[in-house]
Amino acid sequence: MKAFLGVFVSVVLGSTFCFVFWVVISHEYQWSDIAPYKGNFVSGWWTTLLISAIALVGSIVIGALLTSGQLSPWSAPRVLSRTFVEIIRGTPLLTQILIGYYLVAPAIGWDSRFGVGVLILSCFAGAYLSEIFRGGIESIPSTQWLSARAIGFTDAQTYRFVVIPQAIRRVLPASAGQFANLIKDSSLLFVISVHEFTMQAREVNANTYATFEAYLPLIFGYFVLTFPISLISRHLEKRFSYEH
Amino acid sequence: MSIETHGLRKQYDSTVALSDVSVSVGDDVQVLALIGPSGGGKSTFLRLIGGLERPCSGSVSVDGKTLPDGERALLEWRKRNGFLFQAFNLFPHLTAEENVILPLVEVHEISREEATAGAREVLSRFGLGDHLAKQPGQLSGGQQQRVALARAIAHRPRWLLLDEPTSALDPEMKAEVLDLIDELRQNGQRIILSTHEMGFARRAADHVVFLSGGRKLEEGNAERLFTSPETAEVRSFLQKVMKW
Ligand SMILES: Nc1ncnc2c1ncn2[C@@H]1O[C@H](COP(=O)(O)OP(=O)(O)O)[C@@H](O)[C@H]1O
Ligand SMILES: [Mg+2]
Repeated sequence: MKAFLGVFVSVVLGSTFCFVFWVVISHEYQWSDIAPYKGNFVSGWWTTLLISAIALVGSIVIGALLTSGQLSPWSAPRVLSRTFVEIIRGTPLLTQILIGYYLVAPAIGWDSRFGVGVLILSCFAGAYLSEIFRGGIESIPSTQWLSARAIGFTDAQTYRFVVIPQAIRRVLPASAGQFANLIKDSSLLFVISVHEFTMQAREVNANTYATFEAYLPLIFGYFVLTFPISLISRHLEKRFSYEH
Repeated sequence: MSIETHGLRKQYDSTVALSDVSVSVGDDVQVLALIGPSGGGKSTFLRLIGGLERPCSGSVSVDGKTLPDGERALLEWRKRNGFLFQAFNLFPHLTAEENVILPLVEVHEISREEATAGAREVLSRFGLGDHLAKQPGQLSGGQQQRVALARAIAHRPRWLLLDEPTSALDPEMKAEVLDLIDELRQNGQRIILSTHEMGFARRAADHVVFLSGGRKLEEGNAERLFTSPETAEVRSFLQKVMKW
């Protein structure tokens, strides 16, 4: 049964993959149409890389803050963090970007598409991360807390030496997925005219009408950004691994 | 009096775990055993003596000192004891050695070199010299419990509190852990343990407290309590558990 399932999955995935690959490859492309726009792609890719890198760090910081808010013994930070997370997760990113840039930022006199874009992405991904972090921390069994208390650890020491190191291992796969989403979500910043990768592809398309040639580079460009995250996450999973 | 409680009461929501338990244990008692049916209140009693929880009412005093109120003072109280639970109390992400070293360094503020030397000495004495670098998941249940025991005594606690230390183990492993506990006893370690090993309790304990339904039914010299229990419930309990 197991072997049959293995063969079945391999055949289905393998043939689907080959088919799609063949269809994509065998299309007649007019690469010469977009050749003059090479520089646009390169600068767009770098912008996406920069946005993603800063927002990735930002989302971890915001995620950690929201998690500690949600786990706080006081009710005010708990309620506020919870509300923030629910609103961010329950509404479209597109709308958040529009409201953030056209309503909130001007009200505080901030006019940086790039800065506002990065901050909103950080908040958006941070809200999702905080739920992943919270789940990881709450999944550490209460017996670990009891042992730590019995040893004489304070709550802070228990988090630092016992809970967080074990939780990291558990939240890595889901966090890596969230980081890949963050990179792809950065393409929505086109609504406030941040010239990131996807925006550049749109413009090339508008100028050349070479739709596939304009958008196909996105596949490689985004994959080159997301795949290393996957690799690093797997490496870290091994490093933090332990047997149960 | 080395251990004295007055009208000790502990309630969890609607469950009364201990009610009106008063015991007085003389200075001549080196090993105190808590026995009785499951749910009788043994673990709760140990957690209260060890300062892991506060009683709802009543008082605890150990070696003439009264169990304090504040979290800071309770932390100091816990540091003076060594605690061993039924199972699952090692930190799974740390090696055997690091499980023993960590509290010495972080709680007892011993230098890392000294702590490492101490940890190795205790673990070797417990027959774990070849397993220093293994994580708990790579050790047998008996070995894990011996590491946990090493961690509980490495800082030379005044009282060693053992909560059913062998209940989760196979017979062979039970014996190896009980042997170690007995060895500690012979070296003068003062111990309070809850156990279902009546043979061990009878041989090793000086004083026995029988808890059932959250109440103390009897207490007294171990030999006396085992040979001629005063209450019918204690008699029938002992008959049942000693039958096989
Ligand atoms: N943390 C807790 N929350 C709720 N009920 C508890 C808790 N700890 C113990 N109890 C209850 O208190 C009673 C005594 O439990 P315990 O002290 O564990 O007994 P024993 O160790 O003798 O088996 C039981 O009814 C148990 O269900
Ligand atoms: Mg118990």
